[in-house]
Amino acid sequence: MHAFDTSGSNLSRSLRRIARNFGQFWRRFSRNKLATASLAFVILVALVSVFADLFYNYDFVTANSLENAFLKPGESGVVYFQDRDVEHRFLLGSDNYGRDILGRIVHGARVSLIIGFVAVAFALSLGGTLGAMAGYKGGRMDTLIMRVTDILLSIPMIMLSIAIVAALGNSFFNLLLAISITLAPRYIRIVRASVITVKDQEFVEAARCLGASDLRIVFRHILINITAPIIVQSTLNVGTAILWTSFLSFLGLGIMPPKPEWGNMLAEAREFIQYAPHTLFAPGIAILLTVLAYNLMGDGLRDALDPKLKR
Amino acid sequence: MDNLLEIRDLAVHYYSNRKVVEAVNHLSLDMKKGTVLGLVGETGAGKTTLALSIVNMIRGPQGKIVQGSLRFNGKDILAMGRQELRGLRGKDIAMIFQDPMTALNPVLPVGDQIAETVIRHEGLTRAQGWKKAEEMLETVGIPGIRSREYPHQFSGGMKQRVVIALALACNPVLLLADEPTTALDVTIQAQVLDLMRKLIRENGTSVLFITHSLGLVAENCDEVATMYAGEIVEYGTVDQVFGRPLHPYTRGLFGSLPRLRDSQRRLTPIPGLMPDPTALPRGCYFAPRCPDKMPVCGEIHPRDHLFEGHRVKCHLYGGNGREAGNER
Repeated sequence: MHAFDTSGSNLSRSLRRIARNFGQFWRRFSRNKLATASLAFVILVALVSVFADLFYNYDFVTANSLENAFLKPGESGVVYFQDRDVEHRFLLGSDNYGRDILGRIVHGARVSLIIGFVAVAFALSLGGTLGAMAGYKGGRMDTLIMRVTDILLSIPMIMLSIAIVAALGNSFFNLLLAISITLAPRYIRIVRASVITVKDQEFVEAARCLGASDLRIVFRHILINITAPIIVQSTLNVGTAILWTSFLSFLGLGIMPPKPEWGNMLAEAREFIQYAPHTLFAPGIAILLTVLAYNLMGDGLRDALDPKLKR
Repeated sequence: MDNLLEIRDLAVHYYSNRKVVEAVNHLSLDMKKGTVLGLVGETGAGKTTLALSIVNMIRGPQGKIVQGSLRFNGKDILAMGRQELRGLRGKDIAMIFQDPMTALNPVLPVGDQIAETVIRHEGLTRAQGWKKAEEMLETVGIPGIRSREYPHQFSGGMKQRVVIALALACNPVLLLADEPTTALDVTIQAQVLDLMRKLIRENGTSVLFITHSLGLVAENCDEVATMYAGEIVEYGTVDQVFGRPLHPYTRGLFGSLPRLRDSQRRLTPIPGLMPDPTALPRGCYFAPRCPDKMPVCGEIHPRDHLFEGHRVKCHLYGGNGREAGNER
């Protein structure tokens, strides 16, 4: 009758339950080959950015060595680094300052991922709280929050983030802030909509009737019911955040050179598109693949997590 | 006074599109400790609204308790603060909802939901709470080991038993059972009712048993109140009301039931519909459908008349009965 034996402790039982639930999720997710491949790529990028220092020394990828400028992919050169000459092979070639492009992409991944995740976490906590408040309380609070959201949404997101960085000044934190604020309205809407569909169900009233406080109802009974759309939206938004980081950096409003970042690499390389196209393609393809992987993975998650959309 | 619950002159209105829905009108009702009171009446009579107002859960801004008082163990429920109300709900007064399919949170294990309640109200630790949850499930005949399963893994009858376990977890003094068996089929209904009866007797819980079924009332209740258009039109012990129903509406309800002994071909339904609660008639609310209508019924709203504890709100009994007094 029961899938588990009665002798097991609570811990082993719940572990087994989690394993079973995950197994179920994985079966559905892995049916989507593209999403699985994307997940693998996302994990690869994550590992590379975590262990970036093992592959390339940060000082090495930020130091100029003009004699090696514009090497083609695979060419070798002698780099003067840390008081001696080092023979180095440039796997993806070098840029106009003779810096290793692959090394800069590897370190750029770190920046992109940090901003991607932190900005999404920021936007989620801000937008989630506001959205839950608007949806649960309704009335004047709802009107106020949603009209402000509508105003934010009516400003093109690009303009909004540019405006925020331009107004607050060019720094890592302000970049984060700009991306979070532009992402937050999406969460406000999605959380509000989901809260509204859940809050009128009878179990919420039952919880109230059992003496639960509003805070407890929202966090323990409502938000847990809408984790699936939030996870999906967050995955998609990480991709968006990475794209915007690059975009703002490309415009000179984000991470400034010589710090390696995909967007500013593109910006530097665009002058040399005819002379050394590989300096442009490498970061461009990095952005493309990463954002694409996050989007495909998000779609796969949506299919696996949201039973209403099951085909 | 040994009244557990005293409702006096209660009126609840809902507001929509500038119309006022008068859901409960000047309703007075007492519940004694340890009794099971059956509340019958057709859909829309205000039964659920009454139950919700007992725990002060009428939702604003649409709904509002506009008048009256609710005393539970002598304390005024309507004057309680949020904190005090939260302590009351679930602990002293618990409610069983109509539909077990939606009354449980689908993404939390059932044991978790029971444990949460007892942890909050009884100040238990997590481990004790879970233990209590398993015990409660055992009392309603569900293996304790299933406490970690989710609502969708249970059948409808089992879910309703979980809901009962949840309601009884803190040993409430008063249980509001809002059509607890309506969503279940007849065999499961019998099981669930047997279980409820047993638990209620063991703990001495008072119950407000809301139902459509006169049969269930006869079987389970000590007292009956008939509700019509937001009013209690008749109130008495089961023997009194079933032995000699006084109000034409109650009589009509009995007339719409098939009887085993008589060889009647057709049932006699009550003609017409309940009056529109946004525009209640001036006189007796039941007058337009009443077979015993008198001229006075269309003019003056009847008072309560009392015969040895058997209360009825009807002009038919105005001459010979003593008046109950405190109502309009």
